[in-house]
Amino acid sequence: MMNTKRVISTIEKNYILNNLRKEERIDGRGLWEYRDWTIKPDVISSAEGSADVTLGDTKIITGLKYDVGAPFPDLPEEGVCTFMAELLPLASPIFERGPPSEQSIELARVVDRGIRHADCVQTKKLCIKANKAVYILFVDLYVINYSGNLIDAGGISSLTTLISSHIPEGKWVDDQIEWTGKYLTGETIVNELPIVTTYGKINDIIFLDPNLPEELVSDGKISISVTEDKITSIQKSGLATFSLEEIDMLTKKSMEIGKKLRKELNLWQYKVKY
Amino acid sequence: MPLIIKDEYPEKLFREDGKRLDGREKHELRPIKMEVGVLKNADGSAYLEWGNNKIFAAVYGPRDVHPHYLAKPDKGILRVFYRMATFSVFERKRPAPGRREKEISMVLTDCLEPLLFLELYPGNSFEVFINVMNADGGTRCACATVAALALADAGVPMRSLVTAVAVGKIDGELVTDLSGIEDKAGEADLPCAITWFNEEFDGKMDLEEFEKCLTLAKNALTKIHEIQLNVLKNKYIAIQEEYSGGKN
Repeated sequence: MMNTKRVISTIEKNYILNNLRKEERIDGRGLWEYRDWTIKPDVISSAEGSADVTLGDTKIITGLKYDVGAPFPDLPEEGVCTFMAELLPLASPIFERGPPSEQSIELARVVDRGIRHADCVQTKKLCIKANKAVYILFVDLYVINYSGNLIDAGGISSLTTLISSHIPEGKWVDDQIEWTGKYLTGETIVNELPIVTTYGKINDIIFLDPNLPEELVSDGKISISVTEDKITSIQKSGLATFSLEEIDMLTKKSMEIGKKLRKELNLWQYKVKY
Repeated sequence: MPLIIKDEYPEKLFREDGKRLDGREKHELRPIKMEVGVLKNADGSAYLEWGNNKIFAAVYGPRDVHPHYLAKPDKGILRVFYRMATFSVFERKRPAPGRREKEISMVLTDCLEPLLFLELYPGNSFEVFINVMNADGGTRCACATVAALALADAGVPMRSLVTAVAVGKIDGELVTDLSGIEDKAGEADLPCAITWFNEEFDGKMDLEEFEKCLTLAKNALTKIHEIQLNVLKNKYIAIQEEYSGGKN
């Protein structure tokens, strides 16, 4: 496979495109196949839940920390779950140091939207006392190696983190929190498993899970999050345009691939016992 | 796993049988695991697990200096960036780099710069990015160790590797390789880096103890240096085997 780090030549672009026309990928996959997944849950001892997920050469480590704070005034009985992503400069020569880039904000927000609108995190269970104290969860994604399709890897990594989570359980006694000695685990917090699938588009060819060279030459991407039976979010990025028929086809495809992936990865096996 | 709600310090740092809280002898190191070439995009990279510390380091360079005004016409520059993940510590760290991280970055730069032949790379820069994913005491020492390994993996000409370890004083006794809790609750902590010396110190110790510490550090460092060398050697042995295997 090509050893691409930053730019890609016209000849390589044509090579990728010509292969795609024959429904072949430069790494030998079919158009609708993922690269290999490896998932390691609960790898960080200082976090209340974590995951080390690789998709091909893309590697993301995600960790969960919690805080107890006041709820939003309009949702007094619901906890908060926020997502942050950092594209570490060690992950790729394209990433720079400094404040969060557009790409990292997009990653966090697309992952957040897919999960938030899917009835995934049970925010009502994260309430200790209405109007007074709720859990605030911070799910932080760190990209360790960038080799295309951060969004799908980020989605699975966030889900695994939430499933493997173990947060000390608190009770409201005499106007303050008392720790019960038990844990809120992923089983209590997580309900639905939304799967986000990203497609690349070059000219009029659409394919699943773009790797780095494909992502560098593609006109654009579309990410679709689905639960078992519903679409929860769609994000199109880049300059590509998608016709109505294509969107229709891709949403059906996402349902299908989501179902398959949910079964293959079997994320519930990563829950921890406390 | 014990439920820890508050970051409490234990009263004693030695168990009744004379061993430390994590079951180590006074001068026993925590388990150390090193790997090189773990990140595909970087010119050189290394991963280190030292007890509960989990650290990635990547080297990019020699490459153009950015911003350009930092470039020096007569020699290359080395920049080290030490960062901790938000979830690497007990209380969530703010995502933006703090003063502590900037200072450690500087200390590490000073520690690694003498190792390189920067005069061979005028107008260029080497950048070392170190990310601590899980921290449990002695991260700056672990970072110096892993950064040297990543530089060597990148094929940057070096005078030697650098190896670092912390020695210190807990409950009145000198010990090697302090863990997170020992660092916070103990009396003194002396991170030492060997080959080109550069040290920091905090706590209270008399001169005699200080000298003893340096000897202790040297003993521990010899062991860690051995691991470093083996990891690098194994990398090239693997390449050699692959090459000769392909020929036959």
